[in-house]
Amino acid sequence: MPVTAKYIVEVKRIQEILNAKTWVSNISDSDYITGIYASDLMSDVLAYGKPGSMLLTGLYSVQAIISAYMAEFRGVAFIRNKTPEEETLKFAREKGMFVLSTASDMYDACIKLAGLETVIPEEAPEAEKIHKSDNLTTYTFKIDGNDFASAGMVSTRVKAILKSIGYEPEIIRRAAISIYEAEMNVVMHARKAEVTLTASDKEIYIIVIDEGKGIGDIDLAMQEGYSTATEEQRALGFGAGMGLPNIKKNADKLDINSVVDVGTRIEITFHIK
Amino acid sequence: MKLKDIIGSLSLNVLTNLDDKEVTGVYISDMLSDVMSNAKAGNLWVTIQTHKNIVAAANLIDISAVIVTQGTRVPEETIDLANRYNVIIISTNDSTFALSGKLYQIGIK
Repeated sequence: MPVTAKYIVEVKRIQEILNAKTWVSNISDSDYITGIYASDLMSDVLAYGKPGSMLLTGLYSVQAIISAYMAEFRGVAFIRNKTPEEETLKFAREKGMFVLSTASDMYDACIKLAGLETVIPEEAPEAEKIHKSDNLTTYTFKIDGNDFASAGMVSTRVKAILKSIGYEPEIIRRAAISIYEAEMNVVMHARKAEVTLTASDKEIYIIVIDEGKGIGDIDLAMQEGYSTATEEQRALGFGAGMGLPNIKKNADKLDINSVVDVGTRIEITFHIK
Repeated sequence: MKLKDIIGSLSLNVLTNLDDKEVTGVYISDMLSDVMSNAKAGNLWVTIQTHKNIVAAANLIDISAVIVTQGTRVPEETIDLANRYNVIIISTNDSTFALSGKLYQIGIK
């Protein structure tokens, strides 16, 4: 039976969880996955597999990695400790895919991977691009102004990513609250924005750059209770005038630059102790 | 106190899937930033807001359950989203004030 789940997980975590042996690594762009697809039927993989996933399979022939490649998967994990064929390894090296093997059987591997607390709800926006270098991961997201229906989804995604990286709950909570407030500010006051999250072992750094009406008086905007939200927005419970003060309270560092009628740039930093 | 015990003793209506959780206290607010800032993980959040965004807020700060008061109808899309994120939504015909009194009486301080 094919099993799908949506994850954004570093391959390193998968290796740990499955106690996997790495046959081909290809670390640069291939070291995270956005889904897991478990199947031994390659036509299933081609029909239902989502790009960016990892294939978990008991099919040991070279067809496994070829199908995974066709479905734009990042790599393959073989179950029951099978030694992959040389042809498979060669193909993976050429195509920049990873190959792992684990002693677990399919059920055991699925259970272990399902235990990851990093399930991303399908509605969550995809990270636009991911760049990774030494101990540093960067994600970018887009937010549309006035989109109250999906407001909060970027923050939800960021929280899941931070959780999957393994930060302390306390810092994740502070980061989640801050990004939520920044996201709501964009939804209320800007046309659109780009959010960049950089996570390292030293800090969590979030930049939100929006195109919008800007902030005329930053000191005033920092005062609790000051808000330019509309009546309609307030009726929904937004615009309490606590957004920026909330970010300041939770962040280790907050920098705001704004130009009226152009936009606002907010940088939020959390130091890892 | 366990969520299921609270639901049972106050005859609350559960609108979503239900897991039993430990309730650490109660936070009452209809302003989302206020909840984000002041509610604690494990708190019950009592509100009359029912739009989808309450799910994101509740999920982000690990609210044990959202209780919607005054019999306010909760839109289907909010319930669907809540089920997807494992956020529990409960409703009651009581006003926020009346519910608060009952929660206090059963021992949530």
